[in-house]
Amino acid sequence: MYSDLIHALPDVFALTNFAAVIIGVIAGIVVGAMPGLSATMAISVLVPFTFGLEPLVALGLMAGIYNGAMYGGAIPAVLLRIPGTPAAVATTFDGYPMAQKGEGGFALQVAVVSSALGGIASAFALMLLAPPLSRVTLLFGPSEVFWVAVFGLASIIFLLGGNPIKGLISACFGVFVSVVGSDPIYGNDRFTFGQLEMLDGINIVILLVGLYALPPVIDLLETPLKTDGVNSTKLGTESLWKALPKMKGFGMTWVRGSLIGIWIGILPGAGGSMAAFMSYNEARRTSKNPDAWGEGEPEGVAAAETANNADTASALIPALTLGIPGTAVAAVMLGGLLVHGLQPGPMLFRDNPDIVFGFMWQFLFGAILLVLLGGSLATNSFARLLNLPRPLLGSVIIVLMLIGVYSIHGRMFDVYLMLGFGAVGWVMDKLKFPLPPVVLGLILGGFAEENLRLALRIGRGDWMVLFQNTTSLVLVALTIAVIVGPTLKKRYIDSRKAA
Amino acid sequence: MSESRKPRLTRPETLTAIGIILVAAGFLIPTVDLRPISALLPAAMLIGLIVLSVFLLLADQRKAKAGEDAAPMTKSPKRVLGAFGLIVAYAIATDFLGFYPSTAVTIPLVAWIFGYRSPIGLLIATVIVVGTIWAIFDFGMSQDFPAGRLWDR
Repeated sequence: MYSDLIHALPDVFALTNFAAVIIGVIAGIVVGAMPGLSATMAISVLVPFTFGLEPLVALGLMAGIYNGAMYGGAIPAVLLRIPGTPAAVATTFDGYPMAQKGEGGFALQVAVVSSALGGIASAFALMLLAPPLSRVTLLFGPSEVFWVAVFGLASIIFLLGGNPIKGLISACFGVFVSVVGSDPIYGNDRFTFGQLEMLDGINIVILLVGLYALPPVIDLLETPLKTDGVNSTKLGTESLWKALPKMKGFGMTWVRGSLIGIWIGILPGAGGSMAAFMSYNEARRTSKNPDAWGEGEPEGVAAAETANNADTASALIPALTLGIPGTAVAAVMLGGLLVHGLQPGPMLFRDNPDIVFGFMWQFLFGAILLVLLGGSLATNSFARLLNLPRPLLGSVIIVLMLIGVYSIHGRMFDVYLMLGFGAVGWVMDKLKFPLPPVVLGLILGGFAEENLRLALRIGRGDWMVLFQNTTSLVLVALTIAVIVGPTLKKRYIDSRKAA
Repeated sequence: MSESRKPRLTRPETLTAIGIILVAAGFLIPTVDLRPISALLPAAMLIGLIVLSVFLLLADQRKAKAGEDAAPMTKSPKRVLGAFGLIVAYAIATDFLGFYPSTAVTIPLVAWIFGYRSPIGLLIATVIVVGTIWAIFDFGMSQDFPAGRLWDR
């Protein structure tokens, strides 16, 4: 089962593939360090540029960006008390007080080492858990695949938290977008309105860039952040090798943070910020000196950063094996896989083992590379990123978005379509409609429809074919549990409080 | 008391729900011409959108009735409209005037309007970005960008 993992290793060390991971990690740190930008946005902007690249180069860039951005978010969190990414909120609790005491450099080094360890643990979890899970899913037929898609959508709607009506609206919108174009079986046009450009359906990249890249750019221009600038000489950074001995008591925090991050990553709908909060709270609860937390306790930074990096690769376990992403970034990465003709799910492991296992190695190396970027020179350089003027950054991203979307088919129609999705995405973002169900709806909608129709053909039009085997029934039960579970849990908690 | 006097139908969620209902109902019309099996999923989604939006609308109106204020979608609508307008204008300019002239103007213009006022910084950034795009995409990857519909005529 794991022999494919070993066979994939030489390809990962090919110069271009390895360079892609390095570039990705650096780009990810840059993006993560800029408040308002996120790994999701960076990967959305990147995906169209990877069309002409080898899959492992493209995936290496994505893996690097994901790893790098999770650490990058710690830089403004520590230096300005502004989390660069949502997952870095818990890092501010102790990171910023450390920076005020002149220990900002050490806080960033704790963050980089913890991020790397969390990322390494997460990559190992992906390598160990995904292959056996993919074997199980190979046994699935059309009705099971249909229920997997329904389960995936239900998970991301109901476990994401927030308003389930808004989640359902997002998912319906995504599934509806997936049916635009030619009918996959009869070939008749659906909602193309005579536009030839729509016959092949709506490319996922157009939706991704519109939904995930345009709203942050508008936010960037809407409220220009005024910073006093960061003087890197005040960071008090020393060599990483001198800083490491000061972290020798963090072992248990790293292990606990990794396990929490991996578990949260696997759960559909949960994300890095939840992992970081849980890890921080657990580490504080078990600390010998909990009163020092919040006043500049380095272990607090370690707890938060380990967990928010440990949910990166593990979020891809359900994504790669079942097509159900654990986080928004994983949903966007699924889009990146589709761009390269790699349909997430069990067949991915059978048909493209070199690529899928190579991708796992790239996650591991991306995490290891973080440590190399934790030296004083790199830490000081990345800290200076905070001085970049945001309006200029916004205008450059706008240009990159246009180039990326135009490059897909070489037509402006796609750019206008992207702007339309961008406007919709901005409204959704402001009204707190979750965006991952839209992406997942687009990815799983066509997939679910095709398998539903195939199952109905096999069952000669009898809908009971969808309920005729144990696996389907288990998936139906899981879907119901996911839908009903949060409500029951809330009622239970309320009744306990009332009692 | 002042909150209760605010018009209930112009709340952002209410307007969004009404918008979704109208658009989804509009898209339902072409499903009539589709084969039943082809129309199944899109019709289900559109009807789902309409029903869910009705729930959203009712929930928001209930909040309005209870005197709950709707959070504004933006603190500076002018800046948002300006930003979106400039992005749309950039896309149209690229389509009609060509990629390079539009980009060379858009980068400094957007940055200037939104607060970055260093002429040298703007010049350097524009030259670096446009030059890098040309070197990587045009020269390195032979990627064609829109030359401008106006010049095609």
